[in-house]
Amino acid sequence: MSEVKSEVKSQITPKVNQLFEYAREHYPHIMRGMEEAVHVNPDRFYSMTERMLQRLEPVLGDEMYQRALGAFARFSEGVIFSQARYERSGSYENKSYDEVNASLYSQRSEMDDYLWGVYLTNTLWAHHMELTLFYLDRFLGSIESPDQATTIVELAPGHGGWGQMALDALPQAHLYGYDISPSSMAIARSLADASGVGERADYHQQNALEMVNGEGGYADLCICNFLVEHLETPQALLHAIAHVLKPKGKAFFSGALTAAQIDHIYEFTHESELMVLAENAGLRVLESMSKGPKRTLKNARFLPRSMSLILQKG
Amino acid sequence: MSVLNQIQKIFQDVFDDDELIVTPETTASDVEEWDSLMHVTLILEIESNFNVRFSSGEVAGLKSVGDLCALVERSQS
Repeated sequence: MSEVKSEVKSQITPKVNQLFEYAREHYPHIMRGMEEAVHVNPDRFYSMTERMLQRLEPVLGDEMYQRALGAFARFSEGVIFSQARYERSGSYENKSYDEVNASLYSQRSEMDDYLWGVYLTNTLWAHHMELTLFYLDRFLGSIESPDQATTIVELAPGHGGWGQMALDALPQAHLYGYDISPSSMAIARSLADASGVGERADYHQQNALEMVNGEGGYADLCICNFLVEHLETPQALLHAIAHVLKPKGKAFFSGALTAAQIDHIYEFTHESELMVLAENAGLRVLESMSKGPKRTLKNARFLPRSMSLILQKG
Repeated sequence: MSVLNQIQKIFQDVFDDDELIVTPETTASDVEEWDSLMHVTLILEIESNFNVRFSSGEVAGLKSVGDLCALVERSQS
């Protein structure tokens, strides 16, 4: 029976199967983590990852597996290196936007590689796979009228994958994405066009924190994932989210805690810190999920976690 | 002691297995516990033991024990 199921799966998810074959041959040390991600929810892992690869293929062409999986492996290794240095020093390696800008944000090719790597973490990291399911089921799945016109604002879309999942789920929605990074704008645009939702997505190069200076109260939904730990003044971001939302509008907001990366500068240590930031901005916490990887460095004193909150403007 | 022998000792320490034998052809597929975390731990231990520092570009393509040995030898030359 399991062989029949496996045969069916290989036919409907050929790109995922090829991804695993490529990983097994070129990056065998990442296989264990990928297999853990499958076990979170095998059927949905295969269908969601296949969809992501379908989006990538028109953009990266024949080099898709080499570029995307290579970027994912490099990104994952970079995260573990940063975490190991954090374990030794007790603090994140960079403290300011300017430091990160010099080493990463202003380097176009490094930034492109970084974004392709981050894109695949949505399903290939087991704990992020769980957060992605939380996003799909508890945030997008709770929209009462998914066929109604909906205005979505995405702050710092990065690769754009989160917002594009929302456009898949909400066929009448229109998304406005704001990101300071030119790499992000180009990649998010290319993936939106490749996935057939490009006409419902507008991306603008703009600092998300400056949203408070513009029109407010117009968004039904706001998405803002993994920007807050990149900021020197995180509270300002929650004010920006609250500013764009309509009354009763909802937000999906994520951040990283005791999780080092070259571009993480604000060290959150407790889940309550993210909740307090939201509450201080007039946002009510409806639901939350905090997840860490199953395996950590030997004798680790820090447990890296990713936390997502579903928020509502009061 | 050859680079391979020194790296073998590092593998035995990191994987906490005195019986572990590696060859230049050994990859993560051959060592059950060799995952991403162990991969980075190995590289950091090798950097520390050989008193070298690798760039992210240098470590990105490392797959086998032979690749690790070659990187150490290049960094020492």
